[in-house]
Formats: sequence, structure tokens, C-alpha cells
Amino acid sequence: MKLTSREQLAAWLDALMERATVIAPRQVECGGGSGTHLLLYQPVASSAEVVFDFQRTAMSPKGYFLPSTEVLFEIEKRSNEVTLDEALPQDEQVLFAIRPCDARGLRVLDALLVEHEPADAYYAQRRRNTTLVGLACPHLWPECFCTAIGGAPDDSADVDIMLYEVDGGYLVSEITEKGTALLAGLNAEETDQPAPVSDRSGPSVPVLAPEAWPALFNELYWARLSDRCLSCHACTYVCPTCRCFDVRDYTRAAGPNGIHIERLRSWDSCMAAAYRRIAGGHNPRPSKMHRLRNRYYCKFNYCPQDFGAVACVGCGRCIAVCPVGIDITEMLGEVAALAATLEERGKGKG
Amino acid sequence: MSESIQTALRTRARELLELGEVSCVIGYERSPRGRVRPAFIYEPADADRLVWDNTCHHNLMVYLHDRKTPPRRGEEVPRVAVVAKPCDVRALNVLLHEGQIAREKVFVIGVACAGMCEEGTEELQARCRRCRERVPIFYDALVGEPPKVTAVDEDWADVVELEGMSAAERLAFWTREFDRCIRCYACRQACPGCYCFECMAEQVDPLWVGIAIELPEKAFFHVMRAYHLAGRCVECNACELACPMHIPLSLLNRKIAKEVEALFGYRAGGDPQTPPPLATFRKDEELPL
Repeated sequence: MKLTSREQLAAWLDALMERATVIAPRQVECGGGSGTHLLLYQPVASSAEVVFDFQRTAMSPKGYFLPSTEVLFEIEKRSNEVTLDEALPQDEQVLFAIRPCDARGLRVLDALLVEHEPADAYYAQRRRNTTLVGLACPHLWPECFCTAIGGAPDDSADVDIMLYEVDGGYLVSEITEKGTALLAGLNAEETDQPAPVSDRSGPSVPVLAPEAWPALFNELYWARLSDRCLSCHACTYVCPTCRCFDVRDYTRAAGPNGIHIERLRSWDSCMAAAYRRIAGGHNPRPSKMHRLRNRYYCKFNYCPQDFGAVACVGCGRCIAVCPVGIDITEMLGEVAALAATLEERGKGKG
Repeated sequence: MSESIQTALRTRARELLELGEVSCVIGYERSPRGRVRPAFIYEPADADRLVWDNTCHHNLMVYLHDRKTPPRRGEEVPRVAVVAKPCDVRALNVLLHEGQIAREKVFVIGVACAGMCEEGTEELQARCRRCRERVPIFYDALVGEPPKVTAVDEDWADVVELEGMSAAERLAFWTREFDRCIRCYACRQACPGCYCFECMAEQVDPLWVGIAIELPEKAFFHVMRAYHLAGRCVECNACELACPMHIPLSLLNRKIAKEVEALFGYRAGGDPQTPPPLATFRKDEELPL
């Protein structure tokens, strides 16, 4: 373990920016001076832009691995010659001050996008190119529930370097070799000081086991829950583990000499009415009840069964962002209660 | 005042459900985290979940679009009651003019409104300080007394400031704002006036806007939406309040509302008898263009 000051950490970050893209929490002014701000992970040009003291960013950092829009490849056709140019992302990235929940979100995405064939080459490449510098939360923030879902505010399992804020600066823990390599140049002293243990007290949220969900699929509960849903994409776009996308080809230039096409992929959301529409116009998830239910089943039933990972890390962003107060922790509590009631009723019949 | 309105709302909701007048009452409740959110009350016993205070900002008319068709084919469309502030009723008025809602299927519980506050403050929203209708223009039942508040004159100061910028400055301003957009469509989904079966921004055939979440697509979407709300936006601010990226959407909508008022002397949804200017025409009409 090493101890460093904020100034030394800042100097190290500034040096890093010479050779890699550093992405860090940054305050973004909104509304042309109306005084509102958003905290977002953004590339920074100087450590002076980095916000060190924060709760959580409005968006998860998943966009630096699965960008909201990216060109997958380009196709150039000239007379009878067709060339295909696939450009995998090459940039070295450092994601500074990633929270343990967001890092865990990347582990979930790994399970879905890398560890199961076919692997997503673009995502995998960005994961390889990126070093994660974690920053422990001293405790859970409003809307957080990471501890209820297997995480912890000081969980260092998914980062390359872990920072803990202590009196006089930060304790630096090297977790992986990649992390050790990145730390070269950091001015820090060796210390025996143990990493502080974060306060893990948080809301008690019962998470029903994956196999218990199918029995609840046809309950009226889902219709009632989704009554207030607006079918916007906000919850899925802020989520660190939602990863659906759409792919389409765009003709960028066409003429007598040839044609230039880009294959683009962009985030898509299962909350959108058209998301599940198929050829001929049929939509197996026609109502917002079908869609909201699917989102939760995806997280707590389908992903655990198909990929071995619950697709929720308890970051609380979907709760904070929902314009109409839909709350995933409330849902989990109600679903657990509903399952218990059904089980009681079942026993009565037996 | 809030408390007596709340009690009256609960009583009215309970009665309507007990008498079978409506199948559901759409109002506001407090979430376990203490924030006000839309509520759907189906049982008389649940009527006490309803709340009323100066944070009931959601425009609940948006939910009437979910109730235009029967739950099962061949059944009758169930009647619902909805709690409506004066601005919300103006939105409903727009929808009635556009033939979207069957009036007899909605029981309007109008609420006399002293205004809604900015989130987390006791300060009235700017639109509420300017509001000239403290009592809804129509309702089936009215709850509360007209509050004694004097409206601040509409001077369009925010829009005038924007108009004072050079084109390049304005472009820079909106570029910065729209660039934060994540195309989550919370603005559109929260808007009672946005009810197209398929939004132009997501239409595939023909393809008007690409799938990219990039500045051209974002800017096009917002400008297009603002134009589609010309003469229709009632300034309920549901879009801006729903926006997770704090884009000042009301500024865009107000610019167009100002133009519509100057051209037609019309405020969206302000009068049950007057049809919206962009949805009608007069043979003798001449525009001061």
C-alpha cells in the first residue's frame, strides 16, 4: 500500500494525460449559466478539471467501452473492387475514479459481451486498452444499494488500482499488474496503513433468486407497476449493465465512381415501443407493461441464467433518473413479498 | 390549503371509485423515498395514498393516451378520473381539439393551483410565477379555492435574451445544450402533446433521422419536436423536468410560443372554443408576414 497526496495524484494524472486519454468525473455546466450542473465521466485535459469529491456521476462510464455511437466498419466499393475497413479502437484510456459498482458493471458486461461467443471485438479491445483506477465510496449514497446485490462501497475486485481517501491524501492499492505499470511515476510513500473499511450499512433489499422469477411472470403486479412508466430510455441509458444496441448501414457517399458505406451501431433501449417490433409489424412486447417487466426479468432472471451474472450492480442511477419515481429497490421488495404470498397460497392448496 | 385540497381529492377519488363512475383515479402519491410521483388508484381503500402539494409537477394528461383503447378487444374503453392543474387542463384541451381524447371517458378533477416549486426549493417555477390561470378552464369537479396570487407579467425575458444573441452565439449555445442529449426521449414521453404512434425521430421507413446519438441527430430531434409543438405547447415544463441532462427545453418551446402569440394572438389550449391556429384555417385569413 502507498500513501499519496491529492497534489501528487494530480501531478501523476497530468503526466498520464501526455500518453493516454484520461477520463474522469467532470462538472458540466447546463442551461447556459442557469446554475445547474451535471457530473459526467469525460476526457479531461488537466487534473484541474477532475472532480475528486463526488457521489456518483449522472451516467455510468459504460460509454467508454460501448460508445453510444460507433462506426463498426466502412465499406468502399470502386468499380468491382470492394474493400472493408474495420478499425478497432487503439487509444489507451485511463478511467480515473471509477466507483466499485461501475467497475462491477463492466464485469457483468464482460460476461455478456466477451466471455460468451461471439465476443464483441470492439468492447473487448476497449477493455484491454483501458486501465481502471477505482475510488472507494466511504459509504452508500442516496439511492445506492450495492451491498444488497453482492457489491460493496470499497470492493476492489474489478479495478486495476484502488484509491481510498484518508487523512492527508489517498491510499493507493495496486490490484493488477496493469495497475502497477500505470502507477510508475506516482510520487508516493510506502505505508503499513491498512485500507479503511467503508460503512456498508444500506437499505435491505431482498433479491429474489433467478429461478423464482418465472412463477411471477403473469401477475397483475407488472401492469400496475408500469402504469406510471413513460417508456423513455433514461433508465437503460444511465445503467452500467444495459447494453442493447441497434446496427444500421449508412451510405455516406455514392456516385458513378463508387460507394462509401458506414456500418454504425448505437445504443438502443428495450423500453422503446419499436425495440421488439419484427418484420411484418408484429410486436411481441406491445405494451409498456411487457417492456418494463422484460427489463427486470433481463436483469434478474435471464442474464443470471444465460450468463451467470445478475445484470444490476445497485448503483441507483435508474432510481435517481426516473422522471416518474419508478424504483428498482421498491420493485425487488414487492416482488419478494409477492413470491412469498404465492408460496403461502400454494401451500394452502396442497 | 394543500392539506384541504389533499383531503378533498381523497374524498372525491374514493366516491368516484365506490360509485363505479371511473375505473381508476390518476393522481399523485408520495414514494417511499418521499418524492411525489404519479399514482394510479383502482380501489376506494387506496384513495388515501393520494397527496397534493407544491411538488405535484407531473402533467398526468400524458397517461390518458394509454387509455384510449380498451384493455381487451371488443370491450368498452374504461372511464378514468385524472387530477389536473390549470396547465394540465390546457394540455387536455389541446388533445380534445385534436380529437385524441373522448371527453366523456375522462372525469377531470380540477385543482386550483398556487404554483409548483423548483425541485428541492420553496421557490415557484418561473412558469408558475407567470401563470394567469389559477383555476382550470374546465373540469368535472373543482377542488380548492382560487389562490390569492398575482401573476408576474409575461415579458419573455429569457427568450428575448436568446434573440439578442448573434446567430453564431445562439448556435454555440444550443450546440452545447443539445450535445448533452442522450436521445432517451424522456422529454417526448413526458409530453402530453407528443403522442404520435411512431415518432419521426424513430421512423425507419422513410428514414428521417439516423440511429446515431450524435449532435446532428440530437439537434434535429429537438428542433423538430419544438416545431411540432408550435401552438400546442402549454408550458407545463414536463419535458424539461423529465430531462436527465438538464437541457433548457422550455426555452425552445417558449420561443415558438412567443412567435405563435405574436402571429395569432393565441396561447395553446387557453380557450375551449378556439381551435388551435395551426390545426385550422379561415378563408379570410391574412397573416402579417
